[in-house]
Amino acid sequence: MKYICPVCGYVYDEAVQGAKWSELPADWECPVCGAPKSVFVPEPEEQAKNDSVPMPEQTEEAAKAAEYAVDMPLSVGELAAVCANLARGCEKMYMGEECELFLQLSRHYLSLVPPAQGDVAALSKAVASAAQKQFALSKATAENAGDRGAQRAIVWGERVNFVLRSLIEKYEAEGYAALTADRIWVCSVCGFIYIGEVPPAVCPVCKVPSFKFEKGDAAK
Amino acid sequence: MKEFAVRNLRLCTKDCLCLYVCPTGASDTENSVIDTDKCIGCGACARACPSGAISLVPVRMPPQQRKSPEVIAAMNALAAQKEACRALAATLANGARGGERAFFGAVARSCSLTTEDIYREAGYMLPQSGNVHKLLLSIAAGKDEKAAALADRLLALLPVNDR
Repeated sequence: MKYICPVCGYVYDEAVQGAKWSELPADWECPVCGAPKSVFVPEPEEQAKNDSVPMPEQTEEAAKAAEYAVDMPLSVGELAAVCANLARGCEKMYMGEECELFLQLSRHYLSLVPPAQGDVAALSKAVASAAQKQFALSKATAENAGDRGAQRAIVWGERVNFVLRSLIEKYEAEGYAALTADRIWVCSVCGFIYIGEVPPAVCPVCKVPSFKFEKGDAAK
Repeated sequence: MKEFAVRNLRLCTKDCLCLYVCPTGASDTENSVIDTDKCIGCGACARACPSGAISLVPVRMPPQQRKSPEVIAAMNALAAQKEACRALAATLANGARGGERAFFGAVARSCSLTTEDIYREAGYMLPQSGNVHKLLLSIAAGKDEKAAALADRLLALLPVNDR
């Protein structure tokens, strides 16, 4: 029997590793990305693999909602993200002045975002809800449209969200008294969070080398 | 297609062959960043570099991939959800200290990076795209004066490469 890490794709093969999955301790973690044992999924049977993704039925209301959403005005928080993304694009293309202007726009919009209401439980719920609903829905839409780029972003986002979910749940259950800023790393490309002394040699989600990881900063 | 040369500093081993072959001296700079004003895009440096550290980028980008309305709607909805998570994590980070502050700060940063990536696939890939131009026009026409001034400057700098 094989068990697969939903975050990085690491495969635990009982036949190769020797030890049975059930014999591994509860606090066993993915040797590649640190995901907890509880999130591993058994390798799907061939039958299940061939099942196509169920597409939500396209109702008239859904079509209308889609049309509306295209021209939906963005919130200040969303505008901050759009501008940060465009700043990155300008930076890559050596457009220094444009990059700086988009960064200023992004910071400006970020400063206008009102403080959010809610506690850790609310954050945990929101992250879990994204994992269960939004990612699956948008994945089906992107697959149906044959949009490879959108599928790529959704797969990365979903895996990163998976990590967030397990980290926040762990925080809720155990607290993070021992957590120090020096041990938190964020992949600057996909947002994968890694807790440990040194970042992984290669990001398990987007495969960039370790120098692309940012160290957690208590001052931020 | 007119191009310009860019250098990957992590690959550059300072063998300096680009300096010998460059007809305009564009690659000879103290910070190792090729001077795009001087570069004529001949490609001699990229061919001469023994480390493969120089590549050529088009001056005018091709139009970005078209996105279907359904995909844009789905990506916008997903981004809105991730942005809500970011805002909540940022608020929690502001109210915390030490390791907890770093933890929620990292969660906020992570959510932000995912949101940015999702928008990239929702029609905001290229700063030169018609879609971004449309967004900048609406910001420039809006009531937020600071944002409008920044959008005006970007509109003057950015060419539109589609529509």
